[in-house]
Amino acid sequence: MAVTRVTQHMMSSHSMDAMQTSLSRLAKLQEQLSTGRVLNRPSDSPTDTTSAMRIRSSLTDVQQYGRNAEDGNGWLSTIDAALTNANDQVLRARDLALQGANEGVAGQTAREALAAEVDQIRAGLINTANSNYLGRPVFGGVTAGAQAYDAAGTYVGTPGVVNRTIGEGTSVRVDVDGNAAFGPAGNSVFDHLAALSTALRAGNQAGVSASITALQADRDTITTTQAEVGSRQNRVETAIQAAADGELRLRSSLSTVENADLPKTIVDLQMQQVAYQASLGATARVMQPSLLDFLR
Amino acid sequence: MAGTFSSLSTALSALRYNRVAMDVASGNIANVGTDGYVRRRVNGESVGAPVRPAMWARYDGAGDGVTATGVDRMVDALLDVRARREHGKQSYLDIRQTVLERVESGIGEPGDNGVGAAIADFRTAWHDLVNNPGSDAARAQVLGRAATLADAIRIQSRNVEAESGDLRMRALADVAEVNTLASDLASTNRSIAVANLNGADAGVLLDKRDQLALRLSELTGATTTQRPDGGFDVAVNGVSLVTGASSGTFQIASGITAAGASDGNPIAYSITDSSGTTAVPAGLTGELGGVTDLLSTTLPAYSAGLGAIAQQLADEINAQHQAGYDAAGNPGAAFFSYNPADPAGTLAVALTDPSQVAASSLPGGVLDAGNADALATATGVEESYQRLINGFGTEVASVKRLTANQQVLTGQVDNSREQLSGVNLDEEMVSMLSSQRAYEAASRVMTTLDSVLDTLINRTGLVH
Repeated sequence: MAVTRVTQHMMSSHSMDAMQTSLSRLAKLQEQLSTGRVLNRPSDSPTDTTSAMRIRSSLTDVQQYGRNAEDGNGWLSTIDAALTNANDQVLRARDLALQGANEGVAGQTAREALAAEVDQIRAGLINTANSNYLGRPVFGGVTAGAQAYDAAGTYVGTPGVVNRTIGEGTSVRVDVDGNAAFGPAGNSVFDHLAALSTALRAGNQAGVSASITALQADRDTITTTQAEVGSRQNRVETAIQAAADGELRLRSSLSTVENADLPKTIVDLQMQQVAYQASLGATARVMQPSLLDFLR
Repeated sequence: MAGTFSSLSTALSALRYNRVAMDVASGNIANVGTDGYVRRRVNGESVGAPVRPAMWARYDGAGDGVTATGVDRMVDALLDVRARREHGKQSYLDIRQTVLERVESGIGEPGDNGVGAAIADFRTAWHDLVNNPGSDAARAQVLGRAATLADAIRIQSRNVEAESGDLRMRALADVAEVNTLASDLASTNRSIAVANLNGADAGVLLDKRDQLALRLSELTGATTTQRPDGGFDVAVNGVSLVTGASSGTFQIASGITAAGASDGNPIAYSITDSSGTTAVPAGLTGELGGVTDLLSTTLPAYSAGLGAIAQQLADEINAQHQAGYDAAGNPGAAFFSYNPADPAGTLAVALTDPSQVAASSLPGGVLDAGNADALATATGVEESYQRLINGFGTEVASVKRLTANQQVLTGQVDNSREQLSGVNLDEEMVSMLSSQRAYEAASRVMTTLDSVLDTLINRTGLVH
């Protein structure tokens, strides 16, 4: 609409409106600068708000996956160390058995000494099989007790699976069933060591030979288990790395969506300040003159 | 032939007319900043020969001066109608924007302290419990985070509730103001009719009438019709509120009690006048319309969305939780409790003892964490919440845009009115100056005539 007649009130209210508009833009930029965010409330951009909320949620998840994987890594490292140890001990026991077989003619005293060492190894192995991580026996499944095997080498754990979620819908088993690693009850490495000890004491050559075969099979089982644990640990370590990378990536995306571009905002603020000053100046000039100034 | 003294009376009429013109100008200048003041303009008319020539009597004068036929208020009735309509829409949108922005700022999204963050924290607490099913600390943390989440949802629900309470009080205040305005307008109508009958100047009363009508439109979006006697009849959404000198009573028919509480029914208004009580159809504009829509549609929709989320969260978590076994090996109990009538406002953690958290999917008190793992992903409430926030944010953004557009439109109409009705000081100075000069000239005419008559009366026939 063309302005045909201009009044003082019109000009003052226009000036006020213009200054208010300018000032509110200034306040908006000020808010963005002082909070460092362009997204201060959902209506600033509903779509970006949804993105920001999703990214924030994913970020929490990824951090948690990282923590889960670290915990899983602790379990698997404990198991790996325990299995390495067990392997060495079984190897040593087999060596003793071979000695016992070769020295079949040797005296009772020598065999007694060998048997005593085998007993020691068996006790040590039970100890190894009771390895725990943060108070939980790693070969004991989901048992609430502190041990997977009692002193007699009997499995006292509760078969069950301990999983760690290391990614969206991805979980890794971080425990090893004692029965799988050390053999089922009646045919476990502990039973074989007990049999070896008995055979040595009794001078039972056939028994010693059978134990050598059985211990070899036990070593194979332990090694296979260890290899499998290694591959799982590999997955967990990859997951730790992926979680760290993911966190970085998500943080950067979140910043893109939520945070103010500082240089741009500062430049905008400067421009808005200039505009505000201009509107102040214009108001001061325009409101000043009147016909009254020129009438004498 | 005109009489000897006719020029004197012509000059006198000029003096009178210019006095009126100067009065009007000074009135305009005095009211340059008065709200609702409409500038006046004096209408002059030359006095002279009869409009209809007579058969025998002939008028042979040169005009008998000037007279002020009236003082015009510079208004355009159509423009006023439009201004009232736009102001009604403006105040409807203004109140919506103010309230929605307040509710929005209470949501706290996206951020570290909103419901979204509480949901994510609740999920990580389950994961931590998976890693440590035997730890009482991890169990207590699950309960703590769950309580935080329930609190966050309850706080939002309470914010909306508090806002609704404030709005109901506002509706009561608005209704009271509408009634005051209506009775003021009715008495102004009466005064205008009387003034018009007396032939007195009703300008000030008309200014007041326009202001009252504008405020009524701002409050209710009421429409006005001009009466032959100069007053305004006002109707709210088609139901008559003010007719001439009588005004009806605008009241809340249902939805809000006198104490400002909700009575559970939809909000409705009615008008009682001498002919009885008439219900006002739904769809008011103006501030009261905005308040009504917020109270009956917008805020309840958000509350219901929040309630659905609380219910979904509680139901999904409870179902999964009851599938597991707690630390003692007993089947899990309900994790959350709520009242189905108001899920968001009553959501609370039902468990009190950390050992009651059913982390295990196996009975017998073993340290299994299968159920905790399932619980971490049991609820899809996060997406529902994001949808709710997105929807609400979109609504607020749309209201902001509409308000900004309406502001431009209202500004334009106000501008057009100001163009016509506003006082321009320069203009008034000019008209005052010209009146002053005309007054001086008329005085000069008198002096001249006086001297002419002096010559005629005192000097004629004298010989020096």
